[in-house]
Amino acid sequence: MSKSHTLKEHGARALLRRGSGDFIGFLFPPETDKWLGALRIGLGLQVAVYTLFLRTDWHHLFASTGRGLVSRKLGEAITSFDSSLIPKLGWLVALGGYAHIGEDAVLSIAWACLLCMGLLLLLGLFSRPAAIIAWFLHLCAAESGGLFAYGADSFMTTGLFYLMLSPLPDRYSLDHWLLKVELRGPQLLGFWRRVLQVHMCFVYFIGGLAKCLGSGWWDGSNLWRSLTRPPFNLISPDILVRFKYALPILGISICLLELGYPFFIWIRKTRLFWLVCILVMHTVIGLAMGMYLFALAMIVLNLAAFGIGMSGKRPVSAEVAVGRSTVQRTGISRRSALGAPPLRG
Amino acid sequence: MLFKRIHAAWFVIHFSLIAAVCFAGIFSLVAEGATILPSALGKYARKAELIAAFVLGKEAAASSPMRQGIATYLHAAGIQAGYSFFAPNIPDYHKLTLELYHEDGRVEYESPHVIGRAAALRLDSLLSRLADKRYEPLQEVVVKMLALSVWREHPDVKKIRATFGAVNLPSISDFENGKAESFQPMFSYDFSLREEEKRWESPIAPDNVD
Repeated sequence: MSKSHTLKEHGARALLRRGSGDFIGFLFPPETDKWLGALRIGLGLQVAVYTLFLRTDWHHLFASTGRGLVSRKLGEAITSFDSSLIPKLGWLVALGGYAHIGEDAVLSIAWACLLCMGLLLLLGLFSRPAAIIAWFLHLCAAESGGLFAYGADSFMTTGLFYLMLSPLPDRYSLDHWLLKVELRGPQLLGFWRRVLQVHMCFVYFIGGLAKCLGSGWWDGSNLWRSLTRPPFNLISPDILVRFKYALPILGISICLLELGYPFFIWIRKTRLFWLVCILVMHTVIGLAMGMYLFALAMIVLNLAAFGIGMSGKRPVSAEVAVGRSTVQRTGISRRSALGAPPLRG
Repeated sequence: MLFKRIHAAWFVIHFSLIAAVCFAGIFSLVAEGATILPSALGKYARKAELIAAFVLGKEAAASSPMRQGIATYLHAAGIQAGYSFFAPNIPDYHKLTLELYHEDGRVEYESPHVIGRAAALRLDSLLSRLADKRYEPLQEVVVKMLALSVWREHPDVKKIRATFGAVNLPSISDFENGKAESFQPMFSYDFSLREEEKRWESPIAPDNVD
């Protein structure tokens, strides 16, 4: 009895150890930094486009009582209901007050800083400080203008949050080329890519599930409503009516595409097809509904998660091997040919 | 190995929070009867939503450090809201119309506006929120601020009537039959400019509420 109990306990412990090992193995696959380069450049572009798109309305959206569209202080008060520790533009304005800098000037400086951080991220110069400052300033703006916020803001915050925690710099950055900052280990790169990948699976699964629960996505009426509803009505309803029989098919396709994402994106044979379909969907959303920022954010996150360096054969081992064994065998590698030292770790 | 375990622990906590936020949103939709699921599931969905809210610390007192900490983290990571965009159904389109009564008796119609398209999408988000029951206590103050933003461009206006409502867009068959959109007013406010307040920051005050 006691022997069988001990055996069972031993078996359970072994199973647990193996499960834990598998989980760690899943979380830390060796990975190159190509995806990180794509994420940095993409988010740099996103931040730059975000600031440029809002340049004419920046003060209008974020000014305080009696000067803006809706007082920034109202948005900040709503945010403070959740937590008073959430960053907001009001902090910067208060800080500027100590240095006798007016609200308008602080808002202008915040806007210019955000644009600069976007450009620095694009170039890969001072990548980590740029990612941290961009995340902070964008978060301040998104929270202060919480009443005006929409999906693109959440994805930008999430993208910048992961970027600043990821092992920057990447091999394509000026940090590495000019400042000779050392690259980080492939397992840490693999971990942060996994985080992004799992996050994208959550996004699409929940989005797809919620859509499947609405009758309008099965008969095409939701697609019609979304394309004819201002301010997304860039396409004339007269044109849409001509494709009315295609709307239910497209609606169901979107549901299945999103719901199936967390399953089919991991299968090598279906990955490219699923990714291309998702990218096409976001491109169409961007162009047909005028949601350019949202579309760009989703395209960047998808490419970084499952696009760059994932097609074809196993992505990592070959590339990581270039940094190790190929160097030992031939004395030259693709990485060193690019002017980069072999990957550590 | 410790480094990996710390990362793995963070991963589990992070995605547990994301799952709680996302499923709380789905359960809330089911509980409100906004989905095609039978209404009998509503009470179970409400219970499940409460469990998700507990995981997110929302059952704790507002001043609880745990609740504040979780909320701060969720906002910092951009995961404070679920991902059910345009789902299960497309939200109604809302409009705020401002009737401007000039000193000389003229009446003009305006809407709050911004310059760029990116900001126009944000203004639409704001108007959608105004129709949400959760934002009911803010309706008057937000409408007043929007009216004020228009008043600044028309300083000779003595009264503004702000009417907020939903625009019912025609379905495909209605559109084919020539039916146009219709406006369904939800609430309106009258704001007048008080002489003694002209010099102050917020010079318009509500006269009455319909």
